[in-house]
Amino acid sequence: MKGYRKYFVNKLLWLLVTTFFAFILNFILPRLMPGDPVAAITARIAQGMSNSTGMKEFYQQYADLFGTNKPILEQFFLYIKNVVHGNFGTSFSQYPRPVLDIIKSSVVWTVCLQFPAIIFGWIIGNTLGALAAYTKKGFDKVLMPISIFVSNIPAFGMAVILLVIFGVNLKWFPTSGGYGFDLIPTLSWRFIWSVIVHYQLPFWSIVATAIGGQAIGMRSMSIYELNADYVKYSRFMGIKDRKIVGYVFRNAMLPQVTGLALSVGTMVGGALVAEIIFSYPGLGYTLLNGIMGQDYPLISAVTLIITMMVLLANFIIEIVYGLIDPRIKAAQSD
Amino acid sequence: MKNTIQQVFHSRKFVTGFSIFMALLLIVFFYPFLIKDDPLAIIGQGNFFPPGIYVNVYDSLHSTTYILNLDDAAVKRIGNTLGDQERQDIKDWLVAYGIPEDQIDIDNTKQLLTQWEENYDPNISVTDMTFARQRYYERIDTSLKGLLSTEGMIIAKTNPQTGVLEQTDTIEQSEYADISEVANIKVLPLGTDNFGRDVLTELVKATGVSLQIGFIAGTIATLIGLFLGLLSGYVGGLMDDIIMFFTNLFTVIPSFVLLILISFSIGQDNRGASTIAVVIGFTSWVWTARAVRSQVISLRNRDHVNLSKLSGHSTFHIIINDILPYIASYVIMALILQISSAILAEASLSILGLGPRTTEIPTLGLMMNWAMIYQAQILGKWWAYFPVIVMIALITFSLNLMNTGLDQVFNPALRD
Amino acid sequence: MSKVMLEVKELTTKYVTRFHEDIYAVDHVSLKNEEGKSLGIAGESGCGKSTLALSLMGYYFAPLHYTSGEIIIDGRNISKMDPDDIRRTILGTEIAYIPQAAMNALNPTQKVINFIEDVIQAHNPKATKTEIYELARERFEILGLPAEVLQKYPVELSGGMKQRTVIATSVILCPKILIADEPSSALDVTSQKMVIKMLRDLMDNGFIKSMIFITHELPLLYNVTDDIMVMYAGQIVEKGTAEEVVFDPLHPYSKGLMNSIIVPESGARHVKLSAIPGVPPNLKNPPQGCHFADRCKYVQPECKAHPIDLQEIAGERAYRCIFSQDYLRKAYKNGG
Repeated sequence: MKGYRKYFVNKLLWLLVTTFFAFILNFILPRLMPGDPVAAITARIAQGMSNSTGMKEFYQQYADLFGTNKPILEQFFLYIKNVVHGNFGTSFSQYPRPVLDIIKSSVVWTVCLQFPAIIFGWIIGNTLGALAAYTKKGFDKVLMPISIFVSNIPAFGMAVILLVIFGVNLKWFPTSGGYGFDLIPTLSWRFIWSVIVHYQLPFWSIVATAIGGQAIGMRSMSIYELNADYVKYSRFMGIKDRKIVGYVFRNAMLPQVTGLALSVGTMVGGALVAEIIFSYPGLGYTLLNGIMGQDYPLISAVTLIITMMVLLANFIIEIVYGLIDPRIKAAQSD
Repeated sequence: MKNTIQQVFHSRKFVTGFSIFMALLLIVFFYPFLIKDDPLAIIGQGNFFPPGIYVNVYDSLHSTTYILNLDDAAVKRIGNTLGDQERQDIKDWLVAYGIPEDQIDIDNTKQLLTQWEENYDPNISVTDMTFARQRYYERIDTSLKGLLSTEGMIIAKTNPQTGVLEQTDTIEQSEYADISEVANIKVLPLGTDNFGRDVLTELVKATGVSLQIGFIAGTIATLIGLFLGLLSGYVGGLMDDIIMFFTNLFTVIPSFVLLILISFSIGQDNRGASTIAVVIGFTSWVWTARAVRSQVISLRNRDHVNLSKLSGHSTFHIIINDILPYIASYVIMALILQISSAILAEASLSILGLGPRTTEIPTLGLMMNWAMIYQAQILGKWWAYFPVIVMIALITFSLNLMNTGLDQVFNPALRD
Repeated sequence: MSKVMLEVKELTTKYVTRFHEDIYAVDHVSLKNEEGKSLGIAGESGCGKSTLALSLMGYYFAPLHYTSGEIIIDGRNISKMDPDDIRRTILGTEIAYIPQAAMNALNPTQKVINFIEDVIQAHNPKATKTEIYELARERFEILGLPAEVLQKYPVELSGGMKQRTVIATSVILCPKILIADEPSSALDVTSQKMVIKMLRDLMDNGFIKSMIFITHELPLLYNVTDDIMVMYAGQIVEKGTAEEVVFDPLHPYSKGLMNSIIVPESGARHVKLSAIPGVPPNLKNPPQGCHFADRCKYVQPECKAHPIDLQEIAGERAYRCIFSQDYLRKAYKNGG
C-alpha cells in the first residue's frame, strides 16, 4: 500500500500545482489586453447602460475587485482571496445578481449531465470496440465504418441532428431547457418527470459523440493486445480462450482509462457546446449568455470552474487508474 | 522516400481520405471561377428561402407563351394550395356526412375533390356542427370553386398619363413559358440563409476560410510542438523537465478554456479569421510536442545518431539529418490531426459567439452560429445547418482517414 | 533404442496472409526425438524454424493453418484431435513451449502465481490455491528461483529472471516434450548461461523427458543438444548427431552455415569465415526443385528440374542433395 500512497500524493500535488496555474492563467490572460482592463471591460457594457451612476458603480466595484491600482502581485493575491471566498463579483448582464449565485444554479445541471454521459459513452464505446476487435468479421465490418463516421460528426452537429430527428420531427422529447418552462423547480413528480424528459436529448448526444472515438481506440488497443506474445504463450499453456480474452480486454482497457483522463477536457468542451444547442441550463449555456452579454466576471468564473472540474475529473481518473493497474503500485515501490 | 510514398498510396484508407479532401480543395478553388457571385451578397429579402429554382415571374410573363392542355393541371394546382389541415377538415365533413372513412384518401387530391363536389351542399346540416363551422365549410367550398374556375388572369398597367388601370394582357391557365426563354432564373441548390444569402456559395467560401484557419493553426501548432519536442527530447535534462512540465500542464488545462479566455480578451474588433487561427495554433501544440519528444528520445541513442555525434557534427546538423527524417511521418500525421481539430475548434468558438468578426467573411462555424441564433433547427430550415455539419464531418472524416492510413503504413503492428 | 517421445511425419503447415496468399513455411517435415534426448533445429531467420516450433504444438490459430502430416506424442497421434481436447489434455501437460520473445510472454498485469494458477486450473479445475502455491514454490526453488518471484508482476523482474520464470512455468505440469524457441538469444551472456544451465537441469530433474531446441546460434546447439537438424526454406536439408552436422556437414547449405560461424573448438580455428551469397527463396512461390539451388556453388541443371528427396545414410543421418556424400566431401576439401 506504500507504493500507492506515494502515487496518490504525487497526483494530489500535481492537482494542486495545476489548479494554481489555472488560477494564474485565468488571472493573467485578461490582463494581457492592451490598456486599462477595467476601463475596457466596463466600456463594453456602456452601450447597454444608460445611467452614469451605474457605470461608475461598476467601475468602482471592478477596480476594487481587480485592485488595478495595486502592484500586480498584490492584485494576484487579492484575486486568489476573492476566488477562495467564492467572490466572483457581480454579473453585468444579470445585474445585480452575484456571479456565484448564477454559477451555483448552473454547475449542478452540467455535472449531472456530463459526468454520467461521458462515463456511459466511454463504457459503451469500449464494449463495442472490444467486441469489434474480437469478432473481427461481420460485427466489425458493420460497426467500424459507422463508428468512424459518427466520431467525425462534431459534438454540436450530433446535438443538432438528434434535436431535429427526435425533438422537432418525431416530437418525442422537448427541444430546449432543463425542465418545462411553465414549471417551478420543486420536488414534485411532474417536475422530476419534466427534468428526465428534457435530460434525454443532451445526454444521448454527448454519449453518441463519445462512443465513436472510444470504440475506435479500444478496437485498435485490443487488436494490438490480441497479437501480444503473452496471448500466444497463454494459449500454448492450454489456457481457455475466454480467460485469455479476459486478460486482453483488461490490458487494453487500461490505456483507455488514461486516454479518458487526457481527453476529458476536450469532451467537456464539446459537451458544453451541446448544452448550448439544447439551451440546457448548465455552464455552457451560462457561458454563452456571458459572452452575448459581454459579462466578463461571469465568463471568468465559468472558465475557472470548468477548468477546475476538468482537473478534478483528471485527478479522480488517475486515482482510479492507480487502483486498477498493478504496475503503478509496483513501479512506485522501487 | 519514393517507396514510402508509393506504399502510402497503396493504403485504401489513405487514398479514400485523400481523394475526398482533394475533391473539397478543388471545389473550393474552382467554384469562384464558375460562380462569380459575392459569397456574402444579400440576395434574398427575408430569410431561409428553401432550395429550389427561382424563376422570375415578371420575365416569364413577357416570354413567349405556349398553350399546353394537360388534364391534371387543375388538380395539381389545387393540390398545391390545399393545406393538410383543410384536407383533414374536408375528410371530417365527408365522414360526418356519411361517407365511409376507408373510402377517403386525403392524399389523393383528385378523388377527394370529386367526393367533395358530388356530396357537398351548404344546405345540408351535418350533425353536431356549430354555425361557425358551417360557415367555414362554405368558405372552403367557395375558394375551391375559385380555384377550379377556368378563367384566366388579367394583367393591367397604370397608364402614366391618365393614371387609370388599363388591361394589357390576359393569362390563361393553360399558358406555359419555356424556362430557357426566361431571362432571369436563379438556382439556389441550398436556398438562402437567415440574411438572404445564397447558402451554397457561402458554404464554399466558408469551407475555404475554415480550411485556411485549419492550415494556419495546424502549421503553427506543429512548428511549436516540433520545436519544443525536439528541444526537450534531444537536449534533455533541465530543459526537458521544464518543457514537459508545461506540456503536461497544458494537457490537463483544457485548451478550449484558454481559447475562450484569449478570444474574449482580444475583443470582437480585433478578431479576424487569421487571429483566431493563430490563437488556436498557440493553444494546441501539446500533442505534437509529446509525440515528437517520445520519438526523439527513442532515436537519441540509435547507432546512426551516435555515429553522427562521433563524427563531430553539430547538434543542428544531427537534428536535420539524423532525427527529422525519422520523425517526419509522425509530424505529418500530427499536422493532419491538428488541421482537423483546429477546424472543429473554430466551429465551437463561433457557436459560442467568439469566432471571427462576422461582417467580412464566412466560416463554417459562423454559418452554424447564425443558423442556431435564427433557430433554423427548430423551424425545419435544414439547408441552413445540415450542409455545414456534413461539410465539417467530411473534412474531419477525410483527414482522419488519411491519418489512419498513414498510421497503418508506418506502424505495421496496428495492421489488422 | 529408448522410447520415442515425439514423432512427426511429413508435417506441412502454411500461413494465410491478409491477401489470402499461402506461405508454406513448414514443408513435409519429419523428425523423431527419443526419451532423454534433445534435438536442435538450426537455420537462418525466416527459414521456418519458429513456425515449425508452433506447428509441433498441434494447436493452430490464424494466420497459421494445418495442411497435412502427423504428430505423434508418446505413441498418441494428436493431429486428428479436437482443438479443445488438445488444449485440455496435450498443451502444457504433454508438450510445452518457451516462446522466442519470453520478455513479453507473461501478462503484464498478472502476478506470476496467478498465471500459474490459471495454467494449472485449465487442466485440473479442482486444484486449490494452496496446493498450486506449494507446487510452484517447490518447483521454483529446485530450479534456483526465489519463491518471492511468484508474488511479483513481470515488470518487477529482470530480463534473465523473466526468462527463467517463463521456463519454470512452462514445465510446471512436467510435459514430455519441451520446445524452446531461441530461449536465450535476447539475453546477456551471464543470463544466457543461467538459462542454458536451467534447461539442462530440467531433463536431469525429470521435469521434462525430451527437448527440441531452436536457435540460429550453432555453437550453442553443439553444446546443448544431441542431434541437429538443419532447416532451409521450410524443408529439412540435413540431420545427424551434433558432432556429425557441425564437423562433417554434407548439404552445401549446412556447409555454408558452418563456414559462416566461428566454432570455438579445436580445428575450427583455421577455417576461413565466409557468408553464403544470395537470399532464401520466397515461400509464396517455392521453387519446384531444390530450394537452395539458386545459392548453391555446385548447382546442376537437374537440381532445379524436380523435387529432391532426403537421402538416408548410415545411422540416423540424412541429407537433401543429388550428390553422393563422397562427392560432396571431396568438393569441400578442394573448394575450401
